[in-house]
Amino acid sequence: MKAKSIYLLLIPGLIVVVFFLFVPILMIIVPTLKGDQGITLSRYIIFFKDAYYMSILMRTVRIGIITTLICILLGVPVSYYVAKSSPKIKGLLLAAAIFPQLTDSVVRSFAWMTILGRNGIVNSLLVSAHLFTEPHMFLYTESAIIVGSVYLFLPLMIISMVGVMDSIEDDLVEAAESLGANKVVAFFKIIFPLSVPGMIVGSVLVFTGTFTAYTTPQLLGGNKNTVLATLLYQKAMTLSDWTQASVLSMVMILITLAVMFSINKVASRFYVRGV
Amino acid sequence: MKNNKILVLVVILVYVFLCGPLLIIGATAFNSGNIMSFPPKGFSFRWFAMVFQSETFMTTLGISFQVAVLATLIALIIGIPAAYALSRKNYRGKNIVQNIFISPIIVPGVVLGFAFFRFLIIKLQFGVFLSLLIGHVIIVIPYIIRVIGSSLDNLDFSIEEAAVSLGATKLRAFFLIVLPNITSGVIAAFMLAFINSFNNVPASLFLTGPGVSTLPISMMSYVEYNYDPAISALSVILMAMTVLIMFIIEKTLGLSHFTK
Amino acid sequence: MALIHLKDICVSYDGKSDILKKLNLNIEKGQFVSLLGPSGCGKTTTLRVIAGFIDTRAGEFIFNGSDYTRLAVHKRNFGLVFQSYALFPHLTVFDNVAFGLRMRKTSKEEIKESVEGILEVVDLSAYSKRYPKELSGGQRQRVALARALVIQPDLLLLDEPLSNLDAKLRLKMRVEIKKIQQKMGITTLFVTHDQEECFSVSDMVAVMNKGVVEQYDSPEKIYSRPKTEFVARFIGFENFFSLKKQENGIFLTDSGISIHIDEEETYSDREEVFTGTIRPENIELLPSDSNQTDNVIQGSIEVRTFVGKDYQYSVDTEVGAMIVNSSKERMYHQGDKVKLHLPSNKVLILKSKED
Ligand SMILES: Nc1ncnc2c1ncn2[C@@H]1O[C@H](COP(=O)(O)OP(=O)(O)OP(=O)(O)O)[C@@H](O)[C@H]1O
Ligand SMILES: [Mg+2]
Repeated sequence: MKAKSIYLLLIPGLIVVVFFLFVPILMIIVPTLKGDQGITLSRYIIFFKDAYYMSILMRTVRIGIITTLICILLGVPVSYYVAKSSPKIKGLLLAAAIFPQLTDSVVRSFAWMTILGRNGIVNSLLVSAHLFTEPHMFLYTESAIIVGSVYLFLPLMIISMVGVMDSIEDDLVEAAESLGANKVVAFFKIIFPLSVPGMIVGSVLVFTGTFTAYTTPQLLGGNKNTVLATLLYQKAMTLSDWTQASVLSMVMILITLAVMFSINKVASRFYVRGV
Repeated sequence: MKNNKILVLVVILVYVFLCGPLLIIGATAFNSGNIMSFPPKGFSFRWFAMVFQSETFMTTLGISFQVAVLATLIALIIGIPAAYALSRKNYRGKNIVQNIFISPIIVPGVVLGFAFFRFLIIKLQFGVFLSLLIGHVIIVIPYIIRVIGSSLDNLDFSIEEAAVSLGATKLRAFFLIVLPNITSGVIAAFMLAFINSFNNVPASLFLTGPGVSTLPISMMSYVEYNYDPAISALSVILMAMTVLIMFIIEKTLGLSHFTK
Repeated sequence: MALIHLKDICVSYDGKSDILKKLNLNIEKGQFVSLLGPSGCGKTTTLRVIAGFIDTRAGEFIFNGSDYTRLAVHKRNFGLVFQSYALFPHLTVFDNVAFGLRMRKTSKEEIKESVEGILEVVDLSAYSKRYPKELSGGQRQRVALARALVIQPDLLLLDEPLSNLDAKLRLKMRVEIKKIQQKMGITTLFVTHDQEECFSVSDMVAVMNKGVVEQYDSPEKIYSRPKTEFVARFIGFENFFSLKKQENGIFLTDSGISIHIDEEETYSDREEVFTGTIRPENIELLPSDSNQTDNVIQGSIEVRTFVGKDYQYSVDTEVGAMIVNSSKERMYHQGDKVKLHLPSNKVLILKSKED
């Protein structure tokens, strides 16, 4: 295979991606670094010193971390069960996890609006059971965003872990049990550590997904619970504050990349140890 | 281990959590009343009728469909040659190129949208539809490169060499021999790219304008001000589309592709 | 002039080290030539250079008088049979075989005629509508062969075409291939690492080692007269010892015993030290009180193993460990003192490595 002609095939795609992705992103990032003389970080310093922005950043990170933890906690046992099921059941359970993922995020958030809303299912159940005298506001809270985000990303976690769980041999667990570990201990001592690589991949996807999500916080969080993505939209489109929107863009990109790189670093250490 | 009671219980609860909300939406779509209620009161198709009569939903559905199909086709045209080049022998810089093609997935959706808005609409003064289309091409390229790349990885390239040794030019060998043997990958890539373009919210959000919007965006603004089963009905329609697409992916690529 | 002329071919995959190192090979028209060598020695690479899939770093490939070194693959008109057969999965047997003719814009009727003709030859007429996955390994192999032959190639290249078949089928197919090759008179280059397969069908054998052809001879010649230690080892010689030339036909071992050698061929007059070799079954194992005195080395039995027909002994001798096969008539035990008689017509002198 002659190498030169192969490069030609890459060119159209590269041009499109570079021109329509890299150029636009550089175009928004570069001006945020421009000062009167040379480069300045002052806009970022202002951003990080601003209590309002910090509270939004913290909320976004908090939602991301809690969502990721819940997804790990639920994802590990479920993906293990899915991986070890008979092919038919496995196919079904996988399909049931993939289906929400391919469903519009507006539809998925809307589902939780109908469940958590003032006239929603949870409220009507609680009221008719006389637990509450009047409807409680579940919607438009941080918890609602977290529930919606777990709902959005748990399938992703399950799916990314099934492959790893597939490769855990059954006899490992049996061996542990035969050595006197009870089932719960066996699970946490054997399966949990062995599933770390899949967990890491899944966690990156869940965290970055939650961290940058727009639809769910917008629909379930309301105006009080602004996160970075909804803030960016407000700044850019409602307030036309493009500089601030650009600063936000850069912050989101950097945090996303930092999380990916640092988690992958941790992951590679696990691989070296042969886990 | 697998049949441990606690484990089974956790699995059941998680799947109720995953499937329940969509089932509830499905049920509310057939409400005959004016407001959302569950369990639904009465049974009717009136909300489906309302969706089909709504001009906003119908035009934005049309636009979403056009954008998804066109963006996917364009991404296929530039993505297939690139995926092909990436699947052949190792050469220097291959990893970098691969990462460049995957990078649209890494950039947060709203940042993509904002960058497209500033560049395409403000700077280049492109029309809304064209901007939307270009944005979506970028968004779906990673899916094309990945899915087609993985089906090319599974292809025994000696068939291509055999064709060339029998007198076919590289180009003919590609169209007569390689392409017919990765059709399932191409179909699956099409489906995945289509659905991801169709469902996109964060980037499209910035690329809508007078008369041009996508279905998810118009649904979002609808639910912010209305609370009736119309969206449920629309959701059922979209879910039916998802089922169809999943079925096609299962038949071509196999759903197990997702676990890799 | 030979039909195929490979001259000082150098190939490197990584741009640093050469996989083929100044490889030379000439093939006459109509010959059946095999490339034989251990895994990784560059047989496939050589074949792919000839087919045109690999660019050479240096050297030239002349085919029938014209320079083919840089000629595009699809213009070469060589028939290729791959180890994996590489049948087109989406085409029927007929369309697989017809592919090359279609590329040549042959007329419909001619295609039908040629394809049916060649399917007849490989005994697959009844299968023309089947798809590759509906065929057995042997049938696939024959489709691959038919597909390569139908274009009436100027050269047939086969890369371990039999390695996916079971032992019985291999035997049948190699005779089949040889028959067809002879009938059509096609110059053929056959890659294998199976000695027996290679010796049984080839007119000439090129034994390769680490990217060079070490010996290019008829199978008989290679079997009876290996020229280098590598070739000798590859075809079953196990005993190697150094010999110092004294005068023509007389050599001295390191321990000072003189060995007579009938063969004239020694490789250089300058050279003084050679490697001698002999097959285990050609050594005569004698009791220490035997009165044989010429070409005899003293030793003692170290290990005895039973290898079916014979006993095989590892003997500790004054020139190092020697492997000897000896009939069951007389059995020796560990520690027995013995004499090894090396018949003067069986000891061979090998070319030194640097040559
Ligand atoms: N595409 C490649 N890239 C890098 N190195 C290669 C490539 N193909 C082969 N090599 C190396 O070149 C050497 C020769 O390989 P080749 O395939 O020619 O061996 P071979 O004699 O056909 O072996 P075998 O009997 O195992 O098929 C090997 O060391 C191999 O590792
Ligand atoms: Mg080989």
